[in-house]
Amino acid sequence: MAVFKYDENNRRHRFIRTIVVTVVSLAVFLVLWWVATVLMNDQNFPTPDKVFAALYDLILNGDPIGGHSIWEYIAISLKTFLYGFGLALVVADPLGLLLGYVKPLREFTAPWIEVVRPIAPIAWAPIFVLSFGSRLGPALVVFIGIFFPLLTNIIFGVQRIDKNWLDASKTLGASQGQLFYKVVLPATVPYILNGVKVGLGVGWMCIVAAEIYNKFGGIGQYLVDMVNGGLMANAFAAIIIIAILGLLTTGVAEYVSKLVSRRMGMDA
Amino acid sequence: MSRSKLVVKGEKYDSSDRVRADRTDLLYSHIPEGETLVSIKDLNVTYRTDEKTTVAVDDFSFDIKKGELVSIVGPSGCGKSTILRCISGLLQPTSGEILIGGNKCTTAGSDRGMVFQDFALFPWRSVRKNVEFGLEIAGVPKEERQERSDRYLKAMGLSEFADSRIHELSGGMKQRVGIARAMIMHPAVILMDEPFGALDAQTRNILQESLVNVLKTSSRTIVFVTHSVDEALFLSDRVLVLSKRPATIHTVIDVPGERPRDRASPEFTKLRREILSYLESQNTL
Ligand SMILES: Nc1ncnc2c1ncn2[C@@H]1O[C@H](COP(=O)(O)OP(=O)(O)O)[C@@H](O)[C@H]1O
Ligand SMILES: [Mg+2]
Repeated sequence: MAVFKYDENNRRHRFIRTIVVTVVSLAVFLVLWWVATVLMNDQNFPTPDKVFAALYDLILNGDPIGGHSIWEYIAISLKTFLYGFGLALVVADPLGLLLGYVKPLREFTAPWIEVVRPIAPIAWAPIFVLSFGSRLGPALVVFIGIFFPLLTNIIFGVQRIDKNWLDASKTLGASQGQLFYKVVLPATVPYILNGVKVGLGVGWMCIVAAEIYNKFGGIGQYLVDMVNGGLMANAFAAIIIIAILGLLTTGVAEYVSKLVSRRMGMDA
Repeated sequence: MSRSKLVVKGEKYDSSDRVRADRTDLLYSHIPEGETLVSIKDLNVTYRTDEKTTVAVDDFSFDIKKGELVSIVGPSGCGKSTILRCISGLLQPTSGEILIGGNKCTTAGSDRGMVFQDFALFPWRSVRKNVEFGLEIAGVPKEERQERSDRYLKAMGLSEFADSRIHELSGGMKQRVGIARAMIMHPAVILMDEPFGALDAQTRNILQESLVNVLKTSSRTIVFVTHSVDEALFLSDRVLVLSKRPATIHTVIDVPGERPRDRASPEFTKLRREILSYLESQNTL
C-alpha cells in the first residue's frame, strides 16, 4: 500500500492538507451542530438538514414571505457594503497618510479618534437609519466599521516607515512632495491592504445589524423577517449566506493583500 | 545653497539653463582635483536627551580635497557617523558649517550622496528602479535614465539583476545597488557610513575591489567611514584617525602607492600596526 508521506516543503502537499483539514473540520462542525440541536429539541434551533433544505428552497424559489429572490437581498447588502467600503477608502486613505505624516495633526486628533473608535459601529445604526434613511444609513454604519481599522493601520504604517528610506531619498534630492509620493505612499500600501482586510471583516458584522432597522433592506432584514415569522430554518439559512459572503470578501482581501505585499517585496 | 537653484550652464549635457540635480559635480568643475572641495568648519554637535547631554563632536574642522577618497577611522562612538550626517545635511550641527566649493550647505541635497550600512534600498522597486531613483526625482527623461542606469548596473556587476527584487539579492549585491544609486547622480561628494560593515570578510574584499575599479574610470570625491583599518588603508588616499569622543584629529595619514594596493606589503603592515595600537589606546571599553 502506498503511504502518503506529507512533506511540509511541498506546495501541493500543503494545499491538500489545508483542504483535508477544512473538510474534516466542517464535517465535525455539522455533526456537533446536529447533536446539539437534537439534544436541545428546541423549535428555535433547527437541525442542519432543515436549514440546508430551507437554503436550497430559498435559492431556487426565493423568500417564502415576500417572494423576492435571494439575489435581490444579496444585491442590496452588497451595494450597501460597497458604498460604505468605498467611502471608507476615500476618506481613510488620505486622512491616515496625513495624520501619519504630520505629527502635530496626529497628536491633535488622537483624542477624537480614541473617543469615537471604541464605540461599537452597530451603536450608530438606529441613529444613522433614522437620520439618513434605510439606504444611506446602513452604508454609513459599514463606513464606520471599516474606517477605523483602516485609519489606524495606515497611521501605524506611516510611522513604521524605515527612516533610512527617507534619509536616502533626501540625499538623492527628493522634495517633501516627492518623499510622500515615492516613499511614504508605496511604503504604506501593505498597511493599507491590511487595514482593508481587517475593516472588511468588521464591515460584514455591521451590515447585518444595520439592516435590521431597514424597511426593505438586504440579507439582514430578511433574517429578521424570518425570525419574526417563526421560520427559523430560513433564518439560519440567511446566517449561512451571510457567513459565506463574509468569508468570500475577507478571503479575497487577504489574498490580494498577501499578493501585493509579496510583489512589493514587503511581506516581512 | 538652495536646492532649487542648482543650475548648470553650457555643459555638454545641456544647452539651455536647466536644473541639473543629477549632475551637481558639474557645479564644481572649475575646482581642480586635489584642491579643497568640502570644508568642515568648527563643527559642534551636542545631543540632548532627557537623561543626558552628549557632546558628540567638538570644534571639528577638516578639508576634503576634490577627487580623493578619505577614510575616517576612530573608536566606536567617537562621532564618525555624526560628522558624516552633518556633511550630508541630514543632521543640523549645533554650530559650525559645511562648505562645498565655498557654498554653505544647510539641508540635504543630491550634491551629497550617501551609502548606508544597512543599504536603505526600496524593496518595492526593482534593482534598476532603485538605481534610477535619483534621476527620476530630478526629472531626467526615461531614455537617458535607462542609458545611465545600464552603465552603472554594468559597472557594479549588476546587469543580470536589473529586474530583480531587492529581497532576492545577497548583502553584497544589495550594497552594489546602494553604491550605483549614489554614483549615478554624480554628487559633488559621496558619503559612505561603514558601507561594508554588514558584510562578511570575503564579500567585503570583493566590494572594496569593485569600488577601486569603478574609481579608476570615474574620479569621485568620497568620505568613507569604517572601523576596519585594513579597509581604510586599502581604499584611501588619506586616512583620518580620530580620538575617542568628542573626536579630535589624531593623525592624517597619506597612504602611499597607487590602488589597487598590496594588503601584505611591509608599508601597509607598519601603518596598520600604528593605527591599531593608537585605536586600542583610545578604547574606553
Ligand atoms: N540621536 C542621538 N541621540 C543621542 N545621542 C546620540 C545620537 N546619535 C549618536 N549619539 C551619541 O553620540 C556619540 C557619537 O555617535 P556616532 O556619531 O554614531 O559615533 P560613531 O559613528 O563614531 O560610532 C555616541 O556617544 C552616541 O551614543
Ligand atoms: Mg557610526
